[in-house]
Amino acid sequence: MDKEKFYNLLAREIANELTSAEAEKLQQLLQEYPDAFYIREVFTRQWKEAAQKELPHNMLEKHQKRLQAASFTVEDEAVPARQVFRLWPRITAVAASIVLIVFAGWKIQHRVPAKPLPLAQKVTLKGTRSQMLLPDGSRVWLNSGSRLEYPKTFAAGQPRIVQLEGEAFFQVATDANRPFRVQTKSFTILVLGTSFNVRAYPGESSAVTSLVEGSVEVQLDKAGKQKVALHPNEKLTVPANLFDIEDEPVSKTDTRKLPATVYKQQLTHVRDSIVSETAWVKNKLAFKHLQLEKVTALLEQWYGAEIGFHNQQKRSLYFTGVFETDRLDDVLAALASTSSFTYIKDASGKIWIE
Amino acid sequence: MRNDEQIRSLFEKVCNDDMQAYNELYLALCNRLLHFSAAIVSSFHLAEEVVSDVFIAIWQKRHQLTHVQNPAVYLYVITKNLSLNTLRQQRRHLHASLELLDISALQIAPDAESGMISSEVSGKIEAAIRSLPARCQLIFRLVKHDQFSYREVAELLNISPKTVDAQLTIAIKKVTETLRFDLSGEVAKSYLHLDS
Repeated sequence: MDKEKFYNLLAREIANELTSAEAEKLQQLLQEYPDAFYIREVFTRQWKEAAQKELPHNMLEKHQKRLQAASFTVEDEAVPARQVFRLWPRITAVAASIVLIVFAGWKIQHRVPAKPLPLAQKVTLKGTRSQMLLPDGSRVWLNSGSRLEYPKTFAAGQPRIVQLEGEAFFQVATDANRPFRVQTKSFTILVLGTSFNVRAYPGESSAVTSLVEGSVEVQLDKAGKQKVALHPNEKLTVPANLFDIEDEPVSKTDTRKLPATVYKQQLTHVRDSIVSETAWVKNKLAFKHLQLEKVTALLEQWYGAEIGFHNQQKRSLYFTGVFETDRLDDVLAALASTSSFTYIKDASGKIWIE
Repeated sequence: MRNDEQIRSLFEKVCNDDMQAYNELYLALCNRLLHFSAAIVSSFHLAEEVVSDVFIAIWQKRHQLTHVQNPAVYLYVITKNLSLNTLRQQRRHLHASLELLDISALQIAPDAESGMISSEVSGKIEAAIRSLPARCQLIFRLVKHDQFSYREVAELLNISPKTVDAQLTIAIKKVTETLRFDLSGEVAKSYLHLDS
């Protein structure tokens, strides 16, 4: 008998997903096979919890107490200065929205909300990383030397827009009515619900979007607003100077073609389950076959140190490694143990590769 | 088990500051959310806190929630996110995901007291379900017990409705094969007889 078909139809029946044609087919199978009839009975009945033993008591009472304790701190935030006319919050809000507009480089392609939303920002210094929860439940890890700006509340029915300078890993809470957007200097990332990493440091020659799961579209803000869809395990690199070159309007025929300097790659798996693009989220520093000058740039950012080269030839040595340590010295000692270079610390604490 | 209309109307009242409705909503959903959260954080005690936090957040944000179209799924999504956060705080630096579910919290089984099946068969079914991969069990539970549609499960777990369909089919196949093993056609018929 078409067993597989029967299982599938039964699955759909339980989930209330049967079409009328499928319901007929199911009836037909049930009449042919009495066993099937029994099995269907078992599945369509209500089932009970098998692990109820551990259930806590008085949940509602306990919850009410916690709610009371929590509400003291909230009312301020939830109702921002409605009646009382407070000048400073308004000035801050106006200033913040000006910053927002300037920051987005006048390139917000959707309508600006009629009432500017109050903005918040999170800044990490060099050598520190942090994680935070956005008002919609999305999770963000902010790498060192980065800044994220976001509205204190996301308006209903409008895209959730945040601005990033630096590097962040996003785990976006799904909300089909309010698509999530990350704006950087080079591009806007259009998100539904997914995990991805964005690296867009102002000092670097290119900006990279790496997708871990779900799907995102990267919109190149200047190159004819082209969109590039990414699949899990892919990353898109966009050079920072792309837009200086391509600033004149891109002709219609060109829009299908990506500028040659924008390219897609697979993520770099350094070792099983360690992907160098997102390792920092797990507090690991990972790189694969990377030039020493780029490794030192990573270390400067990671540990908030300064590293220079006395011997310029050492810049192009290649290294692969995964580190999980709070001490820069451990990393340098490990790299130097390959005997390919030595290093010293000068009086000011700056490190020199020799 | 699930009453969409009731939950929707309670949720609407909560958005309009109705504390009574809020408590009813809590009672209507806390059990389901508790099991869902416990599967992620592996502890009913932690899960109780998570569910409480979910409802605190709901109360605090109630004025901004009028646009929520499907309150039940919305509450599950928040529960999922807060559970994963809790898990992450428990084990620092771990990149928490839904891959490691505690299946004991997900277990459901046919009710032997309904007289349709013996407790022995019910136990076998339970064992068959327990042998399924955790994600498959979660999907089975969300559809069978929490009565979510394919689309809702897909939204909650960030997978496609097709995957939900396939996983659910696998669960049913597996359980059915266990039943076949234990029941000849005759026995099945006698059970049916007993039932009607």
